[in-house]
Amino acid sequence: MKNVPRLLTILGVLLSVIGLVLWLGAAVDKGQPAYFWGLWLLVAAVGVHMVRVYLVSGRRELVDLIRRSARKMMVPLLGVGAAIVIGGILMLVTGYDPVRAYGALIYGGLVRNWHISVLNAAPLIFTALSVAFAFKAGLFNIGAEGQYYMGAMAATWLSLRLTLPGVVSIPLIFVFAGLFGVLWNIVPAYLKVRTGAHEVITTMMLAHTARYLSPIFIRANGGDPAFSTHPYVTDTIPETVWLPMFKDFLPRANYRVHTGILLAVVVALVIYYILYHTTIGFEIRAVGENKDAARAQGISVGKNIFRALLIAGFLAALAGFNQVNGLDHRLFENLQAGYGWNGISVALLAGGHPIGVVFTGLLWGTLDAGGQYMSRTTQTPSAIVEIVKGTILFLVVARYIYTAIGNWYRRRKQKKMIDSSIAAAEQVGA
Amino acid sequence: MAQTVLETRHIVKQFPKVLANDDINITLQEGEILCLLGENGAGKSTLMNVLYGLYQPTAGEILLDGKSVAFSSPRDAIDKGLGMVHQHFMLVETLTVTENIILGAEPGKGPQIDYKTARRQVQELSDRHGLRIDPDEKIMNLSVGLQQRVEILKALYRHAKILILDEPTAVLTPQEVEELFTVIRGLRDKGVSIIIITHKLDEVKAISDRVYILRRGRVEGEQRTADVTKEELASIMVGRDVVLTVERTSRKVSGEPVFSIEDLVVRDDRGVPSVNGLSLEVRPGEVVGIAGVDGNGQSELAEAIMGLRPVESGSMRHLGEDISHLSTRERIHRNISYVPADRHRFGLVLPFTVAENIAIGYHDRAPNSKFRGWSLDYAGMTKHAEALIGDFDIRTSGPSATAGNLSGGNQQKVILAREFTRDPSFLLVSQPTRGLDVGAIEYIHSQILAMRDKEVAVLMISLELEEIFSLADRILVLFEGKVVKEVRPEATDEREIGFYMTGGKERTA
Amino acid sequence: MFDYDLIVNLLVAMIRNATPIALAAVGAVICERSGIVNIAMEGIMIVGAFVAAIVAGATGNPWIGLLAAIFFGGFFSLLHAFATVSLHLDHVVSGAVINVLAMGITAYLMILIVGHPGTTESVPVSLGAYRWAIPGLSRIPILGRMFFDQTPIVYFSFILVAFFTWFLNRTKLGLHVRAAGEHPLALETIGVSVYKMRYFGVFVSGLVGGMAGAYLSIEGNVSFTEGMTGGRGFIAMAAMISGGWHPVGAFLAALFFGFADALQVRLQVFDTTNIPEELFIVLPYVLTVVAVAGLVRRSRPPKAVGTDFMIERTDD
Repeated sequence: MKNVPRLLTILGVLLSVIGLVLWLGAAVDKGQPAYFWGLWLLVAAVGVHMVRVYLVSGRRELVDLIRRSARKMMVPLLGVGAAIVIGGILMLVTGYDPVRAYGALIYGGLVRNWHISVLNAAPLIFTALSVAFAFKAGLFNIGAEGQYYMGAMAATWLSLRLTLPGVVSIPLIFVFAGLFGVLWNIVPAYLKVRTGAHEVITTMMLAHTARYLSPIFIRANGGDPAFSTHPYVTDTIPETVWLPMFKDFLPRANYRVHTGILLAVVVALVIYYILYHTTIGFEIRAVGENKDAARAQGISVGKNIFRALLIAGFLAALAGFNQVNGLDHRLFENLQAGYGWNGISVALLAGGHPIGVVFTGLLWGTLDAGGQYMSRTTQTPSAIVEIVKGTILFLVVARYIYTAIGNWYRRRKQKKMIDSSIAAAEQVGA
Repeated sequence: MAQTVLETRHIVKQFPKVLANDDINITLQEGEILCLLGENGAGKSTLMNVLYGLYQPTAGEILLDGKSVAFSSPRDAIDKGLGMVHQHFMLVETLTVTENIILGAEPGKGPQIDYKTARRQVQELSDRHGLRIDPDEKIMNLSVGLQQRVEILKALYRHAKILILDEPTAVLTPQEVEELFTVIRGLRDKGVSIIIITHKLDEVKAISDRVYILRRGRVEGEQRTADVTKEELASIMVGRDVVLTVERTSRKVSGEPVFSIEDLVVRDDRGVPSVNGLSLEVRPGEVVGIAGVDGNGQSELAEAIMGLRPVESGSMRHLGEDISHLSTRERIHRNISYVPADRHRFGLVLPFTVAENIAIGYHDRAPNSKFRGWSLDYAGMTKHAEALIGDFDIRTSGPSATAGNLSGGNQQKVILAREFTRDPSFLLVSQPTRGLDVGAIEYIHSQILAMRDKEVAVLMISLELEEIFSLADRILVLFEGKVVKEVRPEATDEREIGFYMTGGKERTA
Repeated sequence: MFDYDLIVNLLVAMIRNATPIALAAVGAVICERSGIVNIAMEGIMIVGAFVAAIVAGATGNPWIGLLAAIFFGGFFSLLHAFATVSLHLDHVVSGAVINVLAMGITAYLMILIVGHPGTTESVPVSLGAYRWAIPGLSRIPILGRMFFDQTPIVYFSFILVAFFTWFLNRTKLGLHVRAAGEHPLALETIGVSVYKMRYFGVFVSGLVGGMAGAYLSIEGNVSFTEGMTGGRGFIAMAAMISGGWHPVGAFLAALFFGFADALQVRLQVFDTTNIPEELFIVLPYVLTVVAVAGLVRRSRPPKAVGTDFMIERTDD
């Protein structure tokens, strides 16, 4: 009997892994079922987890868990719902058909071009993890975009020069790219600890700097318009350092989907573990919640701020690695990548939770892919998606609005109660 | 014939979790000094905030000079002649005295402020009431007593006929208290009616004509001050016979001091040496109480001892070793425990769970962590917390309860559970019962004495003389950063301590 | 190299480059002095730029475009005010969200109105054409051309710096605003609404930010490009911090960045070595980091900036 929970854990993990791989890697345009198999397996994994909780901790704990999870998801879901409605009204008012548009959005993002959604999501998850991690320490890593560029450049540089076999070189490039993100955040981290300089400004400025450094890099690595056959983009990196594709083991997967998304999920799990199951994560969170109390207990505020920003830099740079080694296999001159800003939104939407970030990242990716499909097929401008995104963000982040409404309502009820009880007391002649 | 200038009828104030005022009916006569007596949490401040228009009453009405009024904001209250001096001063530090006094009622035509007139008015007001002040000084450069004067002038500037003072003596030296009482009597003679909120029985007897006693949001009694004794007031206030001291058996203390300080100098945030040549020592099994008026170096001393503030000069020794250069973490690992005065800011991480708050500080060692201090051991943390919740009788739903949801007394118990079970050789407690109810106070006092009985060296900083007299084996009086008198509680009384607390010097025979 | 004309040109360019930053910075000063952190200046500026370009292009009158930009800047900033003051949202988070919303809304409206993303068609009705040389004063060597021979918005920026300095230090409302950022409870207990003061502060920064954005799009030929603010909103924040939260200080700091910007353009032209031009573009950004690092210790922000203010707390 004791072994059942353990078996269930293993079963749950297996189901999750296989489900995840199938769901993320599948392409549905050929009408293949792998996508849905993946989803069902994931649902089953959740079910297994619930059974396990019931067996180990009892029915009460399970009900409690469900209630807590529902409460946590309610706000984001309500926010998404309300934003969709608002977007729909906006579309109606400006002369577009919201039903057609949303239909195309959902079909395009979730079904037809699911692979694009997944491809969009991966870098966002990395940058969002970066922002979320820093946020746990009370810091705003607004300049994640700059760390992204540094990671992308570093990954390209090493990929073009390394001649080791892929098994060795890919991890090396992974670390190398991440380190450049760390490097880029050292100055802001140092300044924050030493002088209190607000990291919003310093990381933002360095982000703009990195953006403008990338054309220099590209020109030096094969993209010089004066000499090159392919101006404004670097040489292509060798296939040995490309991230493996899903189609290597899922035969009918789309030819472009690479395993970067799996890497993102793994990294998210690692970050979750670091934050909630290690002493480093504990200290970082303590500093983020109450640095005075943390200090009083001997926790070094400066060291942990420094750590948090550096780790955040590493994470955002991985987004660059993901794009270069996974998707493009070269570095394009793209000054409007936007992974940083979108990553901030994704992190905020997930409430800063590492696992939540995976889901909100997929949501964002789906909205983008669906938006493009929608604009192609229904001529509704994809910018409406930007507005919906912004609105979702605003509504989710302003959760106080719900508690405020709740409080107001409760206060009205209470006043009625008190008024009626005073009236009753007066009648009795108290 | 004195008339009723202010009356409340059936005032109720309900907050989401707490019924702060429950059917309050009080009256204030013209030209009288009225006291509202009650412990922390009795509802006095809430009632005053309702009167002043900061809060809206859930039910009930307020009458001024017999007419019903409703205040939607302090502005209405001010316009009707109410003035309030808050416990925590409402002064903008970077602005001058004049700017603070005229704030919200600035003289001048149109948008521009007429500073010349303002200064003149402030000067006149100050002279008229004998409240000397420099109109151009910035608040941050003023002493606490002077700042309070500015607060009173603020109310007078707006022609207050009813003045409410919320715990006005909390931060004053005994001499400043006397000065304040003189001012209050002077105002009363000029026709101002005064309400004083306090929890200090001495003051009620010293200054008031009448007193209402509040407990748990209700008016429990009303007395003419002259007709009642302090003991009677105390028992109405608390609802039972108050035991004013805990059982403390005197013991013989010997041995090497566990903790000693010599000629310590510590600068505060403004660069002023608020600890200015302080020396003391604490032996195992004794409680050394530091008495003093707030602002004489207490917080800087505590911070310096824990390594949270740098020491300018002087030495600090623990078990013989100089610790002044050690980090806070190293001091904690030397089994020095600390119960901070501001428990919300320095004692607890409110969004963390009870278990996490118990673990913090020792979070990198068993039972809170595994694998050489890298990963957290939640099972261990939870079990440890459960045991302590039982031992310290902490009222909470469990180790995973959020610390912020606990009551003040239970939050302090969490801190005690954490600090007292680290097997300390030296324990520093600062204002351990601030803001707590009598039941919690009794418990915490007995816990401190239990530590003392276990041969722990305890240094206690407190602003409550009662607490010092209850617990301390030796009393050190702190004034302007130095110990000016050391005495045993049996050999002295509160008046003598008060004398030294305010800078009195021993007369040489 | 040290040609007189060149130097004067450089100085004049300094003023002109600094103007949008100075305006945004001064607006941010008022906002932060009231206690609200405003990193949404970038978003407000882009909204102002967009509105100015569209309205000026449609009406053929840059003045109307300017007015519209100011109005919409203020209007848009009310969202930030609502989120931070009434909803008690974290200021930085709200600012970030506002920026995202601004980029999205301008992009969407651009497609709706103009029909395509990117850059609008340039309309040759510029506000810069209303350059006015103050008689007499503009003849002063160097300074004359810098300060007294300028275009309307630049003059407005000078006036606003002086106005806001007077406002903060000498008016009743200014005193209230300052108190709201230092000790909001003190203000509330004396009967002045902190909420109103903070709404006011944010609104002012919105109005001025709208003007700053308008400068970018209608000073030359009227044209709007997505993202044309280029981080200036954040540089304005840095100017505010380096300027010690004083309007005059912020203005001087903005001049510094304007100088770096002007210098960068000229260095590109005069660059004889093979230094990539991007390094010069990057100069103002790097200097901002240096400025924030070096100077932030000297000045103190308003005591209650960034902290939420809520009446009716239950801690009694």
